[in-house]
Amino acid sequence: MRRFSEFDPVAVTVWFFSVTGVAMFCGHPLLMAISLAGAVLFFVVRNGTKHVRSHIFFFLLFAVLALANPLISHNGATVLFVINDRPVTLEALLYGVNSAAMIVGVLYWFRSLTQIMTSEKVLCVAGTLSPKLALVLSMALRSVPMFARRAKQVSDSQKAMGLYSEDNIIDDIRGHMRVFSIISTWALENGIITADSMAARGYGTGRRTQLRRFRFTAVDAVLVLVTLALLAVTAAAIAADSLAFTFYPRIDITVNGALGICGAAAYGALVLLPIFIETEVSLRWRYLQSKI
Amino acid sequence: MEILAVENLSFTYPNCGAPALRDVSFTLEKGEFAVLCGATGSGKSTLLRMLKRELTPLGERSGRILFCGRELSELADRDSAAKIGFVMQQPEQQIVTDKVWHELAFGLENLGVPQSEIARRTAEMASYFGIGEWYDRDVAELSGGQKQLLNLAAVLVMQPDILILDEPTAQLDPIAASDFIAALKRLNQDMSLTMIMAEHRLEEVVPICDRLMVMEKGSLLANGAPERVITQLSGRDKLLSGMPAAARLYTELGESGDCPLTVREGRRYIEENYSCEVRRLPAEDYAVPDAPALTLSDVWFRYDRYSRDVIKGLDLEVGAGEIFCILGGNGSGKTTTLNAAAGLLKPYKGSVRVFGKKLKEYRNRSLYRECLALLPQDVQTTFLHNSVREELDECGADVKTLPYDISHLLEKHPYDLSGGEQQLVALAKVLASKPKLLLLDEPTKGLDANAKAEMTAILRRLKADGVTTVIVTHDVEFAADCSDRCAMFFGGQVVSVGAPREFFSCSSFYTTAVSRMTRGFYEGAVTVAQAAELCRRNGKKEAPPCL
Repeated sequence: MRRFSEFDPVAVTVWFFSVTGVAMFCGHPLLMAISLAGAVLFFVVRNGTKHVRSHIFFFLLFAVLALANPLISHNGATVLFVINDRPVTLEALLYGVNSAAMIVGVLYWFRSLTQIMTSEKVLCVAGTLSPKLALVLSMALRSVPMFARRAKQVSDSQKAMGLYSEDNIIDDIRGHMRVFSIISTWALENGIITADSMAARGYGTGRRTQLRRFRFTAVDAVLVLVTLALLAVTAAAIAADSLAFTFYPRIDITVNGALGICGAAAYGALVLLPIFIETEVSLRWRYLQSKI
Repeated sequence: MEILAVENLSFTYPNCGAPALRDVSFTLEKGEFAVLCGATGSGKSTLLRMLKRELTPLGERSGRILFCGRELSELADRDSAAKIGFVMQQPEQQIVTDKVWHELAFGLENLGVPQSEIARRTAEMASYFGIGEWYDRDVAELSGGQKQLLNLAAVLVMQPDILILDEPTAQLDPIAASDFIAALKRLNQDMSLTMIMAEHRLEEVVPICDRLMVMEKGSLLANGAPERVITQLSGRDKLLSGMPAAARLYTELGESGDCPLTVREGRRYIEENYSCEVRRLPAEDYAVPDAPALTLSDVWFRYDRYSRDVIKGLDLEVGAGEIFCILGGNGSGKTTTLNAAAGLLKPYKGSVRVFGKKLKEYRNRSLYRECLALLPQDVQTTFLHNSVREELDECGADVKTLPYDISHLLEKHPYDLSGGEQQLVALAKVLASKPKLLLLDEPTKGLDANAKAEMTAILRRLKADGVTTVIVTHDVEFAADCSDRCAMFFGGQVVSVGAPREFFSCSSFYTTAVSRMTRGFYEGAVTVAQAAELCRRNGKKEAPPCL
């Protein structure tokens, strides 16, 4: 019994990129609607009423993107009104809404992705590709904040020694330049010791393995297989033109035959998969809790 | 069984006239704990690095190093990495990855050990060292002591046959250092792990080691059981100054033979050999100067609006011209207090006055000109240039006016200096602004006994020039030696203040080894010199009592 966020990072990553991949590379309005609705729902299910600011930001972004297109693009047959001798068309407006749905939907997905994929999980996925890549990422994750802390320390010591003489910006900037230059030296100096420490512990003596702290279980495999199967159905429908659309000159959105319906349904199922898992888990947990 | 044999090893660095090692020979038995001591630059690190193939410096070398009967260079790469463990001085820089668990696994990953085996060994090591609680944390969140313990554990997961440690406690505060040494002792006894360790904090390691090796100018001066080696050194004050207090007292009194090492042995030696008719030295009266240099009244501070108070209603007054030591455990608010006094942190309540003037009234950073200066704990953070000369020129320091001599260091890169030399250069930079109030944070961290003695002498000279010094330190022996008054910090407040002799003879744990050794027998003896003086005044008993 695991929440969706507790699945193996590789399985989670495969699912995320399937969902966002379709959303980014196929602009079909039906799929965009599913993606946006699913993304908002998923974010709300995970976070409840928190992050109101993000919602406001995304809503404003949506509005701006949707309204920008008809002001720039004047294609389309149905003229709504004319500004400055330029027609504003219904098609262009809807095209704007469609692209806004795509962008905001994908942004919502990535917002959830960054919440779920902690640095450790990213490393795990990177390590599956290459253990060396994972090591480089891990070292980078450590050194950036380390240098920032060091810069603060150096700057404080300089201040307490009276080396920023006046309260003015130019002196401050000069001070920061000096700090930056010595931090670079310090980083190199550090690098030598770290390299020694790595060599002393056998780095570069042969093939590396990687300790994975997540276990790829049968359930993870099922998630990956279901994800890929649903993705395949949707992709087939798109490739066979069963989910086709044009905006200009006139809007024409088609869902052709059984394959088209299956494709859309498969994408809907794909998007709802984690919400389904989360709901199942919390219901089961409530039941188990009642027995304690 | 011999695990390591070094035969006639000599080594010269490229472009260096004098050899760094001259004809060094010794052997180590399985399960032995050897301690290597000697002044800075005597070749300890070079010798240890020669024993670990991956770290061997380039240069001209002769002689042989045998590991388990085989030439070191003949070992397979992976064996050489795993079987010989090496822990260095810097806790932070040795760490490679960002998570504690990943750091533990790093060595085994390099060796290509299967995953399940890595998981088992790291888990085992984490529980042995009590790392379990911080297993999932970022290494950045750990304290220096925890980092060094992690470095030790990360080497031990590879199951080495011999562990080489190059001044592992030099960057740690004394409490973390004791914990680290206790861990080593446990490893040696539980696992019979062979260890060779360079160290200058000898008070604690000498009593538990099997063998003491003393180096001087690249050659091995003495090598044997610590009791014998120390008496052999009698008369060489520089080498002796880092030894345990009991041993120093013993040699100071001109004895020969097996010397006492621990507080318990030292106490027995004094009680059996000296009477206690003169119980105390004549008191030296100390009057606190009237004019205050630093006054903190009812100061409250916390780092974050919702965190806990670090300083809680602190009242403290330091008189002008005093050397004032603030002692206390980790997290008791000592460093925070110092930073608040220097104006780097702002208390949310209470006032800080420097020479009677509130910090706010020092406008335009005038506080830091000819008034107050703070030397931070990590003195490397004060350096900005590529040579000591540039460092000093920047802040207008004149080598000739300093109360000590660093003219021989001028052309070196500040990062290449030893801990003690770095401390002196940083102090020179700080003194350039001609402060009347000097704040020092842990000035003895990473210093050997000689450098500490030099620091004490410098502080006395500054005092003679009228400089007030406030020192935050963990180092009880140093505080007893140099201070006019000491204060004990606990929970963000001062719990007691006094001149060192009364201060240390009142406390029973947070006190010097000599005070613990003489408690109840003599009164008010806190330094070796004072105890030796008392012993001399009482005179040696003619015949030791037959027991």
